[in-house]
Amino acid sequence: MSSSEGGLTKPHLAHHFETIEKQDYAVRLGMWLFLGTEVLLFAGLFLGYTVYRHFYYEAFHQASRHLALWAGTTNTIVLITSSLSVALAYHAIKQNKKKQCAALLIFTILCAFVFLGIKAFEYREKFLEGALPGAHYHFAEVTAPGANLYYTIYFLSTGLHAIHVIVGMSILIWILARVLKGEFSATNYVPVELGGLYWHLVDLVWIFLFPLLYLI
Amino acid sequence: MAHEPAQTEAGKAEHHGHGAGRYWLVWAVLLACTGLTVYTGHYHPSIVVALVIAIFKASLVVLFFMHMTEAPGTNRLVFSVSLVFTMVLMLGVFGDLLTRNPMSLPGGAPPSEFHAAP
Repeated sequence: MSSSEGGLTKPHLAHHFETIEKQDYAVRLGMWLFLGTEVLLFAGLFLGYTVYRHFYYEAFHQASRHLALWAGTTNTIVLITSSLSVALAYHAIKQNKKKQCAALLIFTILCAFVFLGIKAFEYREKFLEGALPGAHYHFAEVTAPGANLYYTIYFLSTGLHAIHVIVGMSILIWILARVLKGEFSATNYVPVELGGLYWHLVDLVWIFLFPLLYLI
Repeated sequence: MAHEPAQTEAGKAEHHGHGAGRYWLVWAVLLACTGLTVYTGHYHPSIVVALVIAIFKASLVVLFFMHMTEAPGTNRLVFSVSLVFTMVLMLGVFGDLLTRNPMSLPGGAPPSEFHAAP
């Protein structure tokens, strides 16, 4: 932990920017552009879901009832709460409260582990039941045509989302290490802000995945 | 930009527009909406209700957790364009699927079932 609790650090100014303000403007715009591409990446999967749900409505309905609703609901609460804590971490560093920022980031990272743990438990259940994608499907309780397509989309979309959770968690661990080293302060907080934005995107995607997969 | 050390953070909070209370309020509303979507989804499943709640929740996250309310116009434009193109993608594909001859649809969905699906 940095001993200089009141220490204000300056962000590194890249040589191709004239001022910190221009650099901040550019990196924020770049982040939003990237988030836009992320939305489109998931849009493709949501489209696949919508099309197949339309054709295999009954199979999708039956298959969704075999997901663990308690697990999905708990994970939703965990992600929403972690979104709150990362927003509060950003708020704390803007006020130069480095210890509070670090504590909130640790809480967020723990939430990510809880999310992945519950997800792993759910995946294990599906593997044991044989509710698997494509040709590997052998789940006896849902035999309506198209049920394997539901699980293909389920594993693809939640798997891609889980990869995003792991990436977001890794970014937050890296940011936490830099907060603990005292690199960020009320005058240098944009990386905390951008890491937080990525984490909110992870929450955003789950807000749509949860009702579409668990509650149809 | 804040230039004072931690002891005077109260003064800076007003400089940055709002305190931490707003985040807690948004969190409470998001939790309430989650409860609502689980209740309606479990007892009265409806894709429309589920999507309306999800869009409302997502808007809260984007506007307040991601500070879109304070973002400059370019950032809003860039993100909105991705949402517009998502709609174009959906409308284009469904415009095609819904106007196809039933014979060209997947074998698992006879025309009657296709039209009965809500």
